[in-house]
Amino acid sequence: MDDHVTVEPAKELSFWDEHRYLLLIAIVIAIALVLVGISMTLYVTSGAAQLDLSRPGYRSVSSQAINNDSEFKNYSSTGPINNDSIAEFKALYEKQAASAKAVDAFNGDPLNPDTLEISAQAIQQ
Amino acid sequence: MNRIKSNCVSAKNTLNRLHASDALLRVNRGQIYESMSTKLMTRFNDRAQSNHLDTKALVGATTSYGTALATFRTNYQSYEEQLSNALRIDCTKEPAAFYDAVASARSKRSQVHDDVTVLHRHIDDYTAAFAQFASDHKDQGASN
Repeated sequence: MDDHVTVEPAKELSFWDEHRYLLLIAIVIAIALVLVGISMTLYVTSGAAQLDLSRPGYRSVSSQAINNDSEFKNYSSTGPINNDSIAEFKALYEKQAASAKAVDAFNGDPLNPDTLEISAQAIQQ
Repeated sequence: MNRIKSNCVSAKNTLNRLHASDALLRVNRGQIYESMSTKLMTRFNDRAQSNHLDTKALVGATTSYGTALATFRTNYQSYEEQLSNALRIDCTKEPAAFYDAVASARSKRSQVHDDVTVLHRHIDDYTAAFAQFASDHKDQGASN
């Protein structure tokens, strides 16, 4: 019997073999940055940013946001159409239509230069 | 120029308050406008369609309302971005750029108000289409 044990010479490690954990961390960070970039782009371009009242500058009004619109009843999309269901819808719709039209939102002219005292006449002086 | 510089702080405070109050208005009114479509119009149309009734006018009014709502969303976003741009400008250093940015925001805000008026008109259009539907259906005996 041959008792000789053959020992392979130790293979020399490459730079990336020696630093594979660093490489792993760098790749993970890069992926995270890309995903955050995509999320932020979607947040800004989708219009979600305009609805986010938790942003700085909106905290003074965020408590006045309607968080629960349970008063706005869902009309059932199934069932027969008869005088009762028509009357039910009419009552719901008239109530909410009146509520929707009650406020003439974004009226007035608060950005008028005269109101802000930055009128064009003053600029030309 | 000097007037803008001297009123810079006061103008920016006013813009900041307007920025916040308009955002609140957008959230609260937007919620009602969305619900008009998703909780009432679309649901009634679906129910009428599932009963094989003629919903052409109702669907047409709902589609027009949806288009107007999308325009409102887009125009509000554009207005808010413009107002944010104006707020980022240092009006003590760039008074002319500040003035132009505010003027542009003013025009965009006016457009948003027009969009709201159009939405209200479409709500009335749906009311009229529904009244016609109810009347037609009543004529048919409302037996479904």
